[in-house]
Amino acid sequence: MIKTTNLHKSFGDLEVLKGIDIDIHPGEVVVLVGVSGSGKSTLLRCLNFLEKAQEGDILIDGRRIDRKKEDLSKVRAEVGMVFQHFNLFPHKTVLDNIMEAPLIVKKEEKEKAKQLALSLLDKVGLSDKADVYPNKLSGGQKQRVAIARALAMEPKALLFDEPTSALDPELVGEVLGVMQDLANDGMTMVVVTHEMKFAKEVADRIIMLDEGCIIEDADPETFFNHSTNERTQQFLEMVDL
Amino acid sequence: MPDILITLSEVFMRTYEGFLKAALVTLKITAIAIVLGTVFGIIFALMKISRSKILQTIANLYITLIRGTPLIVQIMFLYYGITSIVVLSNFWAGAIALGVHNGAYIAEVFRGAIQGVDRGQREASLALGMNRTQAMRRIIFPQALRSAIPPLGNQFIITLKDSSLVYVIGVTELFGLANREAAASFLPFETFLVVGMYYLVLVLIFTGLLKLYENRLNVDGS
Repeated sequence: MIKTTNLHKSFGDLEVLKGIDIDIHPGEVVVLVGVSGSGKSTLLRCLNFLEKAQEGDILIDGRRIDRKKEDLSKVRAEVGMVFQHFNLFPHKTVLDNIMEAPLIVKKEEKEKAKQLALSLLDKVGLSDKADVYPNKLSGGQKQRVAIARALAMEPKALLFDEPTSALDPELVGEVLGVMQDLANDGMTMVVVTHEMKFAKEVADRIIMLDEGCIIEDADPETFFNHSTNERTQQFLEMVDL
Repeated sequence: MPDILITLSEVFMRTYEGFLKAALVTLKITAIAIVLGTVFGIIFALMKISRSKILQTIANLYITLIRGTPLIVQIMFLYYGITSIVVLSNFWAGAIALGVHNGAYIAEVFRGAIQGVDRGQREASLALGMNRTQAMRRIIFPQALRSAIPPLGNQFIITLKDSSLVYVIGVTELFGLANREAAASFLPFETFLVVGMYYLVLVLIFTGLLKLYENRLNVDGS
């Protein structure tokens, strides 16, 4: 579904990704872990071209995406993203936040977009919040709306960039719950997170980055219990499980 | 009643019909200048933040020239410049000059407001599949507009007062009329005091309307 080969990305002199090869299969939940600065968020942002890698290829559904020539908004419409800071549109109601992209990008009919938005709100458990503005929501509710908004484009895959890092601890669970439901529905997901419990229970695969390289790519059982990599073990000692 | 108040009220009573008409001219010229200035302002702000070096340079040149020269010089320059090419009333020449002048300041207001919108808004728009134009039109600009309203209101009030300068090209607006009245009546002090009050009242009305509008924006939505 999403494949990268030899992906390189630098910011000025700082090389953040040093040749990344990953292959994410349809329906798979892949969790990216690593200490801050390891390049995991940058990798995620390269996958929908919010950052443009300087070298290497990204293939979506087997098709190589030409970063220079192609209309990247078409690609982005197929790969949704959920941000750490939600980035809801503050001047629009919850319902309008969700309807915006289907209306503007897909030129969907208003009634159809509304029905879809309402059903997605129901899915994330926020049917009663359709007409309120984002500033009236808690962090957890904001993130659930952001997930519904991404789903409204009916993406082939969803990218999550530390979706619970900006939340108060008591609100993390509701967001992870929605993500778990999505995983059960068969959504292809790439998740950057520090929630090791989520990684353990929901991920099919855990990829560990360190200084811009992949140092581990394993199923959760192997990653948490049988890793022989020294950096992985250091990392696991640091995070609390 | 002291003498000054008697003279003042006499001046007021004698001139109010003329001044009300002149106030209407002031308001018209201000309104045109505001509309033109806002249009120019948005266009040049977008040019300034565009990726094209040429557009950026044009916008910078415009802003530098306008901010670097006095308004009264610009009015004269545009009046004699424009009217040597096309037939234009001094009213319209003045309104256009004021509009062009304001555009430079309003461009900076919009540029600041657009760049002040959280970067995440643009990223979220792009991530949803919007192109740059859609993201600007639907998401970024509406938010920028909200934060631009207080400084825009300020600029509109400056425009109202600056419109007095078009008297130099013979437009009979408030200040132009006051000048003539002052000379004809030999009561310059009283006349300019009266015209000052007209401006003050107009500015207070403007300020009140802007307050109302800002409050309304704050009520619906964030």
